[in-house]
This record gives sequence, C-alpha cells and structure tokens, in this order.
Amino acid sequence: MFRDFFDRAHWFALGGLVIALFYLLFFSPVDGSTVRKQDKRLELVLQEKARIAFLLETYAPVEELAAAGNRAAALLKLEELERDFPGEAHASILRGSLLLEQGAIAEGIAAYVLGVRQNGDYIDARSLLGRHREITALVEAELPLIKVRVEKSPNSRTWNEALNNIYYLQSRLAGGCE
Amino acid sequence: MRRFLTDRHIWLVIVSGGILGTFGVLLAFWGNPEHSGICISCFLENTAGALGLHPDTRMQYLRPELPGFILGAMASALVGKEFKTRGGKAPIFRFMSGFFLLVGCTVFIGCPIKLFLRLTAGDMTVWSGLLGLLVGIGIATRGLTSGVYIDRGETQRGGGGVLVPLLFLFFLLLLFVRPAFILFSERGSAAQHAPVLISLLVALLIGVLAQRSRFCITGALRDLFLIGFRAPLFWGLVAMVLAAVVTSLLTGSFRLGLYGQPGAHFDMFWSFAGMLLVGWMSVLIGGCPFRQLVKAGEGDTDAGMVVLGMLTGAGIVQSWNISATAAGVSFYGQVAVLVGLIFVLTTSLLFRERATA
Amino acid sequence: MSLGIKFILKSVAGLVLLLLTGSLLAGCDAVKERPKMRIGYMNCNSEAETRARFGPLNEYLSQKLGIDFELVSVDTQEFAERFHKGEFDFTHTNSLLYIILREQKNLRLLATEKRGQYGPRTAGTLISRKDSGIKTLADLKGKYLLFGPQLAPSGFLAQYDLMLQAGINPEQDLAYYGIPRGSFKHEKVVYGVYFGKYDVAAAPALDLELMIRDGKITADDFNIIAQSEIFPYCTFGAARQIPDELAEKFRMLLLDLTPESTVTYQSETVKVLDSAWIDGFAQLEDADYDPIRRMAKNANMPPYQEF
Repeated sequence: MFRDFFDRAHWFALGGLVIALFYLLFFSPVDGSTVRKQDKRLELVLQEKARIAFLLETYAPVEELAAAGNRAAALLKLEELERDFPGEAHASILRGSLLLEQGAIAEGIAAYVLGVRQNGDYIDARSLLGRHREITALVEAELPLIKVRVEKSPNSRTWNEALNNIYYLQSRLAGGCE
Repeated sequence: MRRFLTDRHIWLVIVSGGILGTFGVLLAFWGNPEHSGICISCFLENTAGALGLHPDTRMQYLRPELPGFILGAMASALVGKEFKTRGGKAPIFRFMSGFFLLVGCTVFIGCPIKLFLRLTAGDMTVWSGLLGLLVGIGIATRGLTSGVYIDRGETQRGGGGVLVPLLFLFFLLLLFVRPAFILFSERGSAAQHAPVLISLLVALLIGVLAQRSRFCITGALRDLFLIGFRAPLFWGLVAMVLAAVVTSLLTGSFRLGLYGQPGAHFDMFWSFAGMLLVGWMSVLIGGCPFRQLVKAGEGDTDAGMVVLGMLTGAGIVQSWNISATAAGVSFYGQVAVLVGLIFVLTTSLLFRERATA
Repeated sequence: MSLGIKFILKSVAGLVLLLLTGSLLAGCDAVKERPKMRIGYMNCNSEAETRARFGPLNEYLSQKLGIDFELVSVDTQEFAERFHKGEFDFTHTNSLLYIILREQKNLRLLATEKRGQYGPRTAGTLISRKDSGIKTLADLKGKYLLFGPQLAPSGFLAQYDLMLQAGINPEQDLAYYGIPRGSFKHEKVVYGVYFGKYDVAAAPALDLELMIRDGKITADDFNIIAQSEIFPYCTFGAARQIPDELAEKFRMLLLDLTPESTVTYQSETVKVLDSAWIDGFAQLEDADYDPIRRMAKNANMPPYQEF
C-alpha cells in the first residue's frame, strides 16, 4: 500500500482531502448559498405553522357559530367554505363534531374518519390541530352503543359501516406505525 | 437431548431470540410506536423520510436502531474475524428484492419481527399475515429443494463491504449533528421514539448477538420446514415469542383482541399476500429484512444491495401511497404486491438449476 | 306421384315448419316476458323533473330485478289515496308520507335516501334575512312567514312543530303565512325572504345547503332562527303484498348502489345516483322515523290528525 510513488501520492492526497473536509465541516464560515439550500426543515416548520394559522383563521366563523350553539348555521358556513377549499380535512373534523352534536351519529363518525385519514395530525395528542381527547371520548361513548345497534340489526349495512369506522378510529388512537 | 442442552450455539440463539423479544417490547414501552419496538420496515420508512426520500411529515426520523444493528454486527464480525467483503451475484435482482420486501412488509404493516411482536401483544389481526409468511416460506423452501438457487457471492476485492456500514454510520452522525437538511417529525409515529442512546445501545447488543447466532425469523421457519424441531433458529424464535409475551404482560402492553389494535388493518387477504411475498423473497435471498442488515454489517455486499433496495422502497412506498394504513391497503399497495409476486415467481423460474437431460 | 301432389305436400310441410318455428319463437317471447310492477315516485317539483331524475334508477332496478317497473309520477296530495287503491307496489316518498302509508297500509321500509351533510336525514329551519333583526323564535310574532308545501316534513311540518314547541301558534300569532304556488317551492321560500317579500321562511336545511353549494346564496345572508331535530329523508317502501324475498333484493340493490353504478337509459350510459341527485342509500329502522311521528302528532297532521 506504500510501495511506490503512486501509492504514496494517493495517501498524501487522501490525507489532504480529509483535513480539508474536516476544516470545511467544522471551521469554514457558512456562506449565503448554503443557508438557502439547508433551510428545508425551517421551511417545513413554517409551512406547517402557516397552514395551521390559515385553517384556524379560515374556519374561525364556523367555530364561533358552533360555540354560540348555532350548529345549523355552522354547518352551512362549512358548506360555503367547501366551495373554496373542497376536501379539506379540517372541515371534515369540524363537520364530524357538528353532526355528532345534532345526533347524526353514523355520519359524524364517518366525517371524523375522513378527516383523520386525510391528515393523521387530528388523532395526535401533541399536534396543534389534534383532537385526540375528543375522538377518544367519541369512541368510548359510541362504540358500545353502535355494538348494541349492530347486535339488534346484524344485517344493517349502515350500522356495520359505522362500527367499522369507529374501529378505525380506535385503532388510530391506539397508535403504532402509520 | 443432552446434545441440545450442551450446544453453546443453541443457547446463543435462544439468548438472542430472548433479548430480541424482550427489547422489542421494551423499546415500545420506552417510547417507540406501539407494537413497533423493533420493525425494520417502519424504521426504514422513517429513515427514508428523514433523508427527504418521501414527503410524509409524520414519518421522518433517523432511527438509531438501524445503524445499531449494522454496526453491532460489524463489530462482532470484526472481533470474530468474520468480516469479509463478499458478494457480487445478481446485484440488481437483490436490489429489487429489497424493494419488494418493503412492499410486502408495508402492506402488512410490519416486518416479520413486528409480526411476532404484534402477535405476542395480543393483536389477532396478524394471523392472516402469519399464515402468508408460513406459506411463502413453505413455497420458497420447496423451491430450494427443487433447484431454485441464487448464487452466493464470493470474496471480493476493494473492501466494498464496509460501504453500507459506513453509510449507516453516517446516518447515525446525522442523527446527532442534525443538519438542517435532515427532517425530523414533530408529530405522528416518527415523533415517538425511545431515548436515542438506549435505542442505540440495545440495537448494538442485538446486532452483536444476531451476528454471532445468525438469528433470523424467516430462517428459523425455513429450518423448521427443512429439518424440523432440531433447528436451533426455531428455538430462538420460540424464545423470542415467549420473552415478548412475558414482557408485554409485565409492561401492561398485552391486549388480546381483533379490534382497536395499533397499526393494524382488516384487509386479511392483502396481509396474507404481503407476508407471502416477504416469506418467499426472504428465503430466496437468504434472510428476513433484519438478517439482511446484519449480513450487510458482516461485509456482505449482496445483503447491502438488499438494504439499499429496502431503503429506496421505503421512500417509494410512502410517496406512491403503496403502504397500508389502519384504513386498509390502497389500490396501489394491492398492485405492488401482485407485481412483487410476479417478480418472485419469475425469479424462481429463471434461477432454477435444472438437471440436463 | 304427380308434380301437383308433390307441390301440395311440399307446401304443407313448409307451412307446418313455418308454423312450428313461429310458435316456438312466440313461446320464447312468452318466456322472456317480464312481470310488470309500478313504483310511485312522489313529485318534488314537476312530473318532468321526477321522470328525468328517477328514470335511470327505475331502469336500473328493472334490469337488475328482471321486472318491468313502471315509473309513476305522483302528486304529493294524491299519493296516499292512490296507494290505498293499490296503484303502486313500491313507493318513493318523503318521510311524512312514509309514516302515513306505514300507519294506514303497513308500508314496509326499504331504504332511505342519502343526500347532503346529514346523510339519510334532514331538518327544517326557520330563516330570516341577516339585516332583519329577527333572530329568535320569540321575534316571529306578528311576522310574515312563507312555508313550503304542506306535506313537506322539512319545509312545513318541522317548522310548524318548532313554533308550537316555542309557544307560538302559527294560526294566530303570525301576521300572515303562505305557501308559494307551482314548482320549486323550497327555493321560492328562500328567495321570498332573500328579496325581502317575507320576514321569515320555512326552508329545508338540505335546500339551503344545496343553494349555498351552488353559489346561489351564502351562509351569511340569513339568520338561522331555529332548526328542528334531524329526521329521515326521502324513503323507498314496499307494499305489504310484495314477497319478502323481492323486497329484500330491492333493498340490497339500493344499498349496493355506488356513485360509479351505471345503467343504459335511453341509449346512453348514465350514472344512476348522479342522475337521481342522490349520494346513496342507508338502511334505517322504522323507529328512526319517530321524530316525524312526534312532530305530526304535535302539529295535528296526518296520519294522526284529529278534527
């Protein structure tokens, strides 16, 4: 490996490059172009924060109407927003909550499932958008009742679908890899 | 029986299995996602995400367990003078095999180790996957006895066997240095992890033991089919299962049932098909995803190609919506499994050595 | 044998063969002939609209069940009477008509239509213009109100009941209430308030939702003064004499419909649910219709009307 000039030249160059790399990594100043290329994580964080802020602001009228007990108007407002932002997970979650409060159990659960499938953040306890506690309460309250309905009408497709949906939420609440 | 009890290798295998089962549960108890204390496919998906190979912001984390397994195996191989750069046979085939291994695993939601961890935690949805794994191994074993044979690599010049371990060492450095281009999820399953040093130490230990014992899930079942209960690896698997059950019970993570299980779905046929693919493929290429990591740590560049294929697959399954979720297996996942099975069938035909008339 | 006799024999044989073939073909036709049944579809707006909406669904059911279903478009007011005469084997009505037929003729519940956010349910709302200052039920006294059709559960019954529950007697406490003439009554009541001709309207929640979806109005144009509890939407039923097996097949066909289900109708392949403006069908139970029963009793409406 150190036999002749060829070997020694290579070792010399190798040593030089390792030193240069070491210097580059730990001592050289970071120039502007590097900063622009390396801020990917920051971009993602900003995107996420902006997204959350946008959603909270956009859907604030719905939340306000719901908080005032005017769930029917809140649902209509959601429908109006749907024209601009169709298929948004946040709308599905809000719709789920409003439908459940009005007694549309199967449809409410289906809306929650749609929202969680579109964006797993809603099942997360640590996400700013998370509805972990709300969905936990939903599963705990409705699972036994839906089981009873399915036992009473084992062939009811509507309630069997609702049961599958609530099992999905239960499974997502249990965690695991996605 | 006496020979069985006095055979050091058998005890090494049993201890390896026991340690794997115990820490497989404990890592989840210490912070990894539920039932995913050790899951090679999940860890590879997280790693691919952290490297920016897929856009799912809930699946991005450089899991230290992967470098741990490889570097532990490498250290063990170096100490035991077993580290040797070898390989060079059918590299593209092995790369593609790695890709389809990941497809099969992610359609099932978990590698063979996770299958047993899920099973031992009471998850009853895994039965179809287990059946698929057994059938796949059975078919592949039958293939082995019928002449389906992929040449083993030979000793190679150039020291290429160190490259995959170095790559994963680099990933480990990235985990500690955390440069801005590496992504880390702040929510979702990738945000759930055991303390880094604990994960790393456990993985190094398991890597060492797995290298010494040659422990492998599919290998254990293959040997069971080939030589019955005399197979040492099978007893390692039994030890893993028993240790995982006991640890699950002790940590309170055992919950017997079909419903509400973490990271599980009810598409039983596709679970079966996914694990059929994994079992079949693993026997053909000489080991499950975990075993491929360990072999890559020993300098096996063929296994290294499988690992790179798995890493690529981990990015693609997330980007292309191939991986399953609790909602079930997507259309693309179903297509990918069928393509994988076509690949493995074709492979069996093309790699079969037939007696000349 | 002379040529003449040969010719006659050949002719007779040919005739016999022709007759035999003809009778066999006729027999085939007789075998192919499908039973005929009638489905009464309650008119929402007009007969033409009803036929256009439900024609493909009717054809789909005919093809799948091997029965020639005749689509009978029926005026809401005449529906019960014509059903009593045995004119229809299956019915498609609103939920109030369903309970009328259920109570009077033991109509069998098959499936409930899904449309809008509440799925197989809907509700009735009382609305006023945003700038009207009418915000609560108490504000309704002395106001001009526009109802939907009288047998409309979400355009009349629900709101009538809401007012009675709040202690307002629509017959005495309102300055005036009316029902628009002609078709598209539900939209007319909304526009009646929107353009300021009436103070308050009894609008179905679904129609508001659809008008918002279409951009005809916005949610901010109106105050939702009150909304009823939710109750089942339009419903398919089967007359009691229909065999259980056929009724069950009919039900399953409806429940199995997906947005991708198609049928060849008038030489075109069309999407069944899309044509009918339906999202799908759900399987509810008769007890799910109890809110309608309670409302009808409270409002003294059929089938519980007392004079």
